[in-house]
Amino acid sequence: MTQTINLTLKVWRQGGPGVKGRLDTYHAENISTDMSFLEMLDVVNESLTLDGKEPIAFDYDCREGICGQCGAVVNGRAHGPEKGTTLCQLHMRHFSNGDILVIEPFRARAFRVVKDLVVDRSPLDRIIQAGGYISVNAGGAPDANAAPVPQETAELAMDAAACIGCGACVASCPNASAMLFVGAKVSHLTLLPQGKPEAARRALSMVDTMDTLGFGNCSNERECEAECPKEISITNIARLNREFMKAGFFSNAR
Amino acid sequence: MQLDGKIPAGPLKDKWDRHRFELKLVNPANKRRYDIIVVGTGLAGGAAAASLAELGYNVKNFCIQDSPRRAHSIAAQGGINAAKNYTNEGDSIWRLFYDTIKGGDFRAREGNVYRLAQVSNHIIDHCVAQGIPFARDYGGLLANRSFGGAQVSRTFYARGQTGQQLLLGAYGALCRQIAAGKVTMFPRREMLDLVVIDGKAKGIVARNLITGEVEKHAGDAVVLCTGGYGNVYFLSTNAMASNVTAAFRAHKRGAFFANPCFTQIHPTCIPVHGTYQSKLTLMSESLRNDGRVWVPKNSGDKRAPGDIPESERDYYLESKYPSFGNLVPRDVASRNAKEQCDMGKGVGETGLAVYLDFAEAIRRDGEEMIARKYGNLFQMYEKITGQNPYRTPMMIYPAVHYTMGGLWVDYNLMSNLEGLFVLGEANFSDHGANRLGASALMQGLADGYFVIPYTIGGYLTGESPGAVNADHPAFADVVQAVEERTRKLLSVKGKRTVDDFHRHLGLVMWDHCGMARTNEGLTRARETVRALRSEFWENVLVPGDSHDFNQSLERAGRVADFMEFAELMIVDALHRQESCGGHFNEAYQTEEGEAKRDDENFAYVAAWEFTGVGKDPELHKEDLTFENVQLTQRSYK
Amino acid sequence: MNWLVKTFSSSIGKKLMMAVTGLCFIGFLMVHLAGNLTVTAGGEVFNAYAAKLHSLGAPLLVMEFVLLALAVVHVITGLYLFYRNVMARPQRYAVNRNAGGRTLGSATMPYTGVVILAFLVIHLTNFTFVDKTGTTIFQIVSNAFQNPVTVLFYTLVMVVVALHVSHGLWSALQTIGANHPKYMPVVMAASLIFAVVVGIGFGFLPIYFSLIA
Repeated sequence: MTQTINLTLKVWRQGGPGVKGRLDTYHAENISTDMSFLEMLDVVNESLTLDGKEPIAFDYDCREGICGQCGAVVNGRAHGPEKGTTLCQLHMRHFSNGDILVIEPFRARAFRVVKDLVVDRSPLDRIIQAGGYISVNAGGAPDANAAPVPQETAELAMDAAACIGCGACVASCPNASAMLFVGAKVSHLTLLPQGKPEAARRALSMVDTMDTLGFGNCSNERECEAECPKEISITNIARLNREFMKAGFFSNAR
Repeated sequence: MQLDGKIPAGPLKDKWDRHRFELKLVNPANKRRYDIIVVGTGLAGGAAAASLAELGYNVKNFCIQDSPRRAHSIAAQGGINAAKNYTNEGDSIWRLFYDTIKGGDFRAREGNVYRLAQVSNHIIDHCVAQGIPFARDYGGLLANRSFGGAQVSRTFYARGQTGQQLLLGAYGALCRQIAAGKVTMFPRREMLDLVVIDGKAKGIVARNLITGEVEKHAGDAVVLCTGGYGNVYFLSTNAMASNVTAAFRAHKRGAFFANPCFTQIHPTCIPVHGTYQSKLTLMSESLRNDGRVWVPKNSGDKRAPGDIPESERDYYLESKYPSFGNLVPRDVASRNAKEQCDMGKGVGETGLAVYLDFAEAIRRDGEEMIARKYGNLFQMYEKITGQNPYRTPMMIYPAVHYTMGGLWVDYNLMSNLEGLFVLGEANFSDHGANRLGASALMQGLADGYFVIPYTIGGYLTGESPGAVNADHPAFADVVQAVEERTRKLLSVKGKRTVDDFHRHLGLVMWDHCGMARTNEGLTRARETVRALRSEFWENVLVPGDSHDFNQSLERAGRVADFMEFAELMIVDALHRQESCGGHFNEAYQTEEGEAKRDDENFAYVAAWEFTGVGKDPELHKEDLTFENVQLTQRSYK
Repeated sequence: MNWLVKTFSSSIGKKLMMAVTGLCFIGFLMVHLAGNLTVTAGGEVFNAYAAKLHSLGAPLLVMEFVLLALAVVHVITGLYLFYRNVMARPQRYAVNRNAGGRTLGSATMPYTGVVILAFLVIHLTNFTFVDKTGTTIFQIVSNAFQNPVTVLFYTLVMVVVALHVSHGLWSALQTIGANHPKYMPVVMAASLIFAVVVGIGFGFLPIYFSLIA
């Protein structure tokens, strides 16, 4: 049943990149437990606006857990405490009256803070640009059924391809590593026959780009897997490791 | 003015082939001398930017999100249609064409729709080559499922995330071109105006959403792929940032807006649960295969569903439509739900919901079977509502989902403004008055991968590359206008927030220009919208300033445009004195309560020309001629 | 050979070096533990084992240098990775909470590693680089473990080693790409069991020596 709860928010406020930030305290009152987390922030922002204060900047778009634009760290958990859930799909019924919520942006050297809870995740785009695709031009493809793909393989590829690029893996990794993100994309493409011709070059290039962008190194802490809203498995990281070694030691790719 | 759609002559199935041959080609060596601006990175925009760059053009690509991978195409669940006939059920290009024309209630162009059906097969081939992990059968070949409005299984899918996977495919192709230096990507940019020089689109003015800087971008052609305008209703299944601004500003610069009143309402969405609600979530229509829709017989019955005895339940779809029952088409199901709620029989806290009950199906087939079919949907429902649909009936309500109307374009996807191309949901071209399931993805990708690469060349051959650059005085004028508008928004400093106005506008539109419309309601709504618009400019409160990341300001600009656009929708709805597809005027219905078309007087595209804010727009017609299909009336009794 | 340097100097390459050297140490631990446990058969057997080992001569010396080289690689790479990982998040979170992936072992890897390094120096000074004329290794070890402080120190360090290994073993396998959903649960369990065996096996020895002496 719908209830209302009162919460204390400690929200990271930062005017812009490179500016010193701080945690400010706000009171969210009469919050319906049917609200999503972002709707709760909307309500807080409406009252801040009416009070003549600057609303909290936070990213959102689809609000149905697929675009990957939203995300913040709530009490030390990326996308909040619910498993397999993005922040926009997290509902307030998972909190209790009187809770204190510390809300921080995704933090990593590679993710510059744009404002408040908004961060710049373009390094993830840079990694995909380094090879997270299959090089085909529109127009030349053979019939879609020309190359059968075992159902299990297609399903495994889909498991990896489900990544929404939100960056929660980086945010939750104690080392701010992007290995789950890279592992998911490399796995998705390398599992499929269409992705095999470029597999070696892709693995080398994507890892190289990831390294230069300032992400940390994977130490198999498994926090990424536990926080991933799409529950992508670290078996994809192992596959990336294999692909990288194969490419580095045995392929002609450079 | 009678508009010319420039449909090529000749038999339907040869039109596209012949047209491609007749289009002039740009010399491969010359392509790199042309700059093309593509606004939007959804299926249409991402595909267009990538494939134009593959051809050698220089592309500047813009999106409002932080990454091109997040455009709202990503949220499409169901699938993508193609006339592959892999299932051997007798599907064909002709059948897909016919289903789409009929599904659109005969308000789309034959030529465009046939071309769409033709290229549908290439889309699937290309997407598989890109590594889209479509669902497959045990033998490793592609799987198909059936979808609304068709009697054959022609829908390709990747779990419930087909849109996401197709978009990531286009995004990958785009990333490849970014890496190759052929596409320059401008994320977190919002197009705020179109620059028209000597009647031709030559660039855009965009705001850098991080720094607030207003930027000038010149190009030899502008391709708008900025999606639909469903958020005019505030609550819709669209993403929060989906807006009409780019299309509407182009409209204000002279581009005609076609059929804006054609909007699609989807019957199975999770209902509104409070005034704070920010968006609606769609659930697959397939739920109606096993769920029974009902409301309490007595209005105002607030008992829990389990406490309402069978004799006091009204299974209104089953009693009203004995042969189709709960499986009536989207618009019929939606309208009936609204009717029940209007009678006070709606359920839930807001009274704006009906039950979709699986109790009987669970009794009949067992919980395990139902879980296998709908497990993920039930899970999603529980996540959002906190209720277990295996135990208590689901609550559903219709929500705005897609807009068929859009900027008017000819067969080349070029608007009446030369050099302005419009693709995907942003144009009006292929779905008529109603879109069939799994056709939106098909159209976006068709336009982006397989139509614009050819047709844009036909235009560019007549243009000398780089004829205009951003130093042209026309750019400075537009920038000034844009900055002035921003200043105005910030200077009102009123008492109501942007969202407050948006909600209000949405409610007016939903009540009077939504599922069922009346002349009287529309007339009243037009007055209300005008009053609301003037209040907006006197009483809106936009915090912060323009030289910063300011989300309130972003929304304010979009809502300001919705305020003007809403009136255009109402004008269009009022003018179309018939019912068809997504436009249902209560005065025009059959005895069974179905939409009654007036083919005699309204078999045309209504394209509106902007004449000034608050002034009546000027109507231009493009007559629709049907040489290959017989116009028929739907019935679901 | 540029490709070799490039591959090893990447993040995965460095992790690979950690994994391979780590797995070698796990092998070493097994041999060392087996050797040490001969003491349960009596001081004579233990001394005989030591004598036999040292009679190997040159091969033993080579092995010792290999171990040293592995240690240098493991320590330097580990420290460098630790530094890089700290740098990857210059602004820390105000609140830190685990989502369930992290274990005590994984969270403390760099610290347990440093402790083990310090221990190794002490351990080698105590038992390897000592004057062994006129005495036996059994004697030296027994004498050392007369001191309850030494016993406590060794036992505690063995708990630290167990922690390090509890994450190290499966993590090394994951890094070299040996992760399969069918086998991973077994690998994880084996990792934990091995850690317990190492912890108890080595941890028991100082106590055993102090008791039998």
